[in-house]
Amino acid sequence: MRKDEAMIDPDCNQEGAPPRLRSVVHAMIWATVPVLLLVQLLASAGVEASSFWSQVRQLDARMVRVAESRAELIAEPLWKMRYDQVTGVLNEIMHDETIAAAAVYDDTGAAIARVVARPEGQSVAEVSRPIHYSNGNMAVQAGRIAIAYSRTTLYADAGSRLVLLLVVGLLATFATLIAMRISANIFIGRPLAAMMWAIQRSKQDGRAYPADVTSSNEFGQLARAFNAMQHTTSGALDRLGHMATHDPLTGLPNRRALTERLAVASGDGGSPGTLVAFCFIDLDDFKGINDTFGHEAGDAFLVQISQRLRGAVEAEDWVARLGGDEFVVIRPEVSNEQAAHAFAQQVLDAISEPIRLHDKQVVPRASIGLAVRHADDPELSHLPTLADIALYHAKSKAPGTVAVLDEALQRDYRRRRDIELAIPTGFAEGQFEVWYQSQVDLESHEVVGLEALIRWRHPEHGLIGPGEFLPLIERSGNNARLTRYVLTDACRALQRLAAAGRPQIRIAINLPPSELADHSLAAELRATCARFGVAASLLELEITEGSLINNIASASETLHRLRRLGATIALDDFGTGYSSLAHLRRFPLDKVKIDKAFIREIPDSAEDKAIVGVIASLAGTLGLTLVAEGIERADQAEAMREMGVGLGQGFLYQRPQPLEAVLHWLDGQPAAASRVITESPSITPEFAA
Amino acid sequence: MTRFLRILLAAGMACGVFASAGRSLAKPLDIVFVNPGKTGEVFWDMVAQSMQAAGRKLDAHVEVLTSERNYRTMQELGFSVVARPDKPDFLILSNEESAAVPILEAAEAAGVKTLLLSNTLIGQDAARLGPPRQKLKTWLGDITTDLQTAGARMANALIGVARAEKWQSPDGKIHILGIGGDEITPASIARNAGLKLAVDAAPDVVVDRLLFANWTESEAERVTANYLGWASRKEIRPAGIWAGNDPMALGALHAVIAAGLVPGRNIQVVGLNWSEDALREIKAGRLLLTDGGHFLLGGWSIVLLRDYADGCDFAAVSPRVEVKTSAITRDNLASIGDLIRMRAFDRIDFTRFRAKAGRCGQYDFSLDALISSLPLAEGVAD
Repeated sequence: MRKDEAMIDPDCNQEGAPPRLRSVVHAMIWATVPVLLLVQLLASAGVEASSFWSQVRQLDARMVRVAESRAELIAEPLWKMRYDQVTGVLNEIMHDETIAAAAVYDDTGAAIARVVARPEGQSVAEVSRPIHYSNGNMAVQAGRIAIAYSRTTLYADAGSRLVLLLVVGLLATFATLIAMRISANIFIGRPLAAMMWAIQRSKQDGRAYPADVTSSNEFGQLARAFNAMQHTTSGALDRLGHMATHDPLTGLPNRRALTERLAVASGDGGSPGTLVAFCFIDLDDFKGINDTFGHEAGDAFLVQISQRLRGAVEAEDWVARLGGDEFVVIRPEVSNEQAAHAFAQQVLDAISEPIRLHDKQVVPRASIGLAVRHADDPELSHLPTLADIALYHAKSKAPGTVAVLDEALQRDYRRRRDIELAIPTGFAEGQFEVWYQSQVDLESHEVVGLEALIRWRHPEHGLIGPGEFLPLIERSGNNARLTRYVLTDACRALQRLAAAGRPQIRIAINLPPSELADHSLAAELRATCARFGVAASLLELEITEGSLINNIASASETLHRLRRLGATIALDDFGTGYSSLAHLRRFPLDKVKIDKAFIREIPDSAEDKAIVGVIASLAGTLGLTLVAEGIERADQAEAMREMGVGLGQGFLYQRPQPLEAVLHWLDGQPAAASRVITESPSITPEFAA
Repeated sequence: MTRFLRILLAAGMACGVFASAGRSLAKPLDIVFVNPGKTGEVFWDMVAQSMQAAGRKLDAHVEVLTSERNYRTMQELGFSVVARPDKPDFLILSNEESAAVPILEAAEAAGVKTLLLSNTLIGQDAARLGPPRQKLKTWLGDITTDLQTAGARMANALIGVARAEKWQSPDGKIHILGIGGDEITPASIARNAGLKLAVDAAPDVVVDRLLFANWTESEAERVTANYLGWASRKEIRPAGIWAGNDPMALGALHAVIAAGLVPGRNIQVVGLNWSEDALREIKAGRLLLTDGGHFLLGGWSIVLLRDYADGCDFAAVSPRVEVKTSAITRDNLASIGDLIRMRAFDRIDFTRFRAKAGRCGQYDFSLDALISSLPLAEGVAD
């Protein structure tokens, strides 16, 4: 751009600037003036040379004429031997400065008259003519005249004329240069500068300025075209500016407008003492509305919401849509946090009025994260982030409510952010640990398997549970890495178990939903097993119902592959998700793990017992092995065993522990090698399909 | 016989006496001559002197008016004479530069009889006015010299000597230089024509150049020197120099001597005018001859007018009288030298040259006649 800017000003001297500028005027002058000078000099030299040769010829011709005319004059006195007259006539021609010498010879060749004007120079030419005498009776050649003449004067004249031409040529070139410079500045430089000025001003404040060019030449036309373009651009810029800062659907300001507004607000400083209420609104289950009514209806829904938001706020308040189902409402002046909360609640109430979509009443639901800050807070631009923290809390803890940002939420947020940022380091430094919790045969009390459970031993925050960091792992896209980490550790553990004389104990690892879509998982599992020399059949993969729902076809494919390797599939946390019994049939499952929620109240809760009973009955019918999670007491274990649940897992038997501790613990447990073989999954034809 | 001789002599004497007595009875003549020349100019002085000498012999008063080579003066003098209340009987003019024509016409108007001497009408004037006594009744005629014959005689004299001395050049020819006075005056043209006439008749003779020296000695010397230089370069043996007058002949002599030649011995020079210097050079053997004697036209003109006044009109033969010139050589130098040198024209008996009765217009103005008219003693004495 600098080059362009500089280009318009021919007088602009930017010698130091890196891209050295050469203005168009200079370029024109440099392109034309040397050529002009050269042509002028060549032309001058050519003309002068031609003139010189012409003069030489003229001089030669003149000398011939002089000789001939003198010969005529001399003929009679020569013939009549009036040699003094001959000399007199000859002397007359010596007034001619170019003549160096002249001589007349008679018919005997004797010099009758000889005159020498000056010593002969170098460039002397000679002309000689016969002298004929005739009268009525006779005609004879009386003699000869010879004239020596010098061309020195011609050379000198030609030289001085050349010098003159050179000087005139140089002066003409200089004059042309100045004229070109002036005219080019007037006709080219100035219009360009005017247009460039307009462009620069337009760049500075985003408006389209016309160039002040009045001439009627090409540059005038260019300037008029430019101005017309500027006019068009101006409208387009306005529209573009509006589009850049407004949401096309609702007409509300967008995220960019919000950023700018906050930047302006934090720059202004605001009046001290006043508070700014920032409401971050997120519609709950907007996806469901889109899915149910279609995107058009979804858009109409958003438009209605935006109208409501507009209607719900005062003139000084500010509403924006950040995208999707996210809205922001800012009230620039609130008296205190309570008032702000009331305002947020008022907004939430306005949203929550039923809306008619396709003749259906829909009750919008939204969560609001509210952040309140002093107007002179220099970090007002952080308000969206702060409100988002509150919103996160609201969405995760109490959807459909207003969550006010407080110290605890910020602390949580900071911890979350710290943990998330530490994930790469966690992997790099091996801070993740895999702990194992045993699964016990409720009949024999033998340990038949272990569930691998991930833990993070954070150098600052200590041991962090998976519930806290797994969502962060998922959000940061590290699910696959973590799964392979666990898989590798599990294979290593299987080696250790085999070495410890427990080759029948199997290990279950949890597969996050995203892994089911990864077709390479099966191959990696096989490779890892091969690397550690363990059988894939000793691995069990636990999946959740939710992961099945999202991509049924892909999940089914992956499960079949894993199962063909010999691994078994367990459905984790059964009963808490969508709990579709159809899943039990559709997917190649070997095991169902009953969520601990159903176990906690047993044996006291008849309902839970009934549910578990039904599940046990169903599993029995489908040939699935049941595992009861969260068994803490012996009576629970007993009840499960009575209801036909085969396996149990929980603190009653063993808390999750690092492998060393587990191995140690296993030393005190009876081994049941023979049973494992019979317990190995029987792959029924229908599941293998 | 003696008696017869006595009677014859007496009759002859009687005739003569009667004749001269008869004429002497005529009235004396009043003649005016407007001299075109300058006082001291030899030729015209001699013309006037011979005219006056003849006047004294023939009972004519000759008044000489000198125009001093100024033709305006000459015309003024002529007009004043014509306008005189007491008009002269005859007015003698010389038509030099055609200046005499207005005077002739004025004299015609005034009834004054005129005679042109030496220079007559030429060119347009001659065509316009015709011969004498026709348009201009008072213009009686003219008396001139035959200079062409003079030129030819001079050339022939040179050729004769050269042939005799075998002065041929390597090319076998006799090479002569001609020096003319000018190229325009009738007096010069006639002489030059004579030279040409003689040379044309001599196939063994070449005139290398006819140079013009403006009648002067110095210029003649210069051109002669140039010629001699040229001739030596051309390996020409110059045999003779023909000069249109004596001064030029003298100039040529100087150049010849300067060139190491000996005039009279290995080269000959001729001149014209009977000048004293020329006569001296002839006597010294350096000049072959000088032709001339035409200054005597002055005397002869008085003879014509006396006869005309006495009733014997020269126009009986022709109103135009042409007088032959003569050459003075070493042979006849003695007879005539003193006459010229002394200008003793009174010694000439002009009466002897008058036309005889019944033979009007017939005159013998030859050198022989002149010599014989002189007293013998003086001719022998020289």
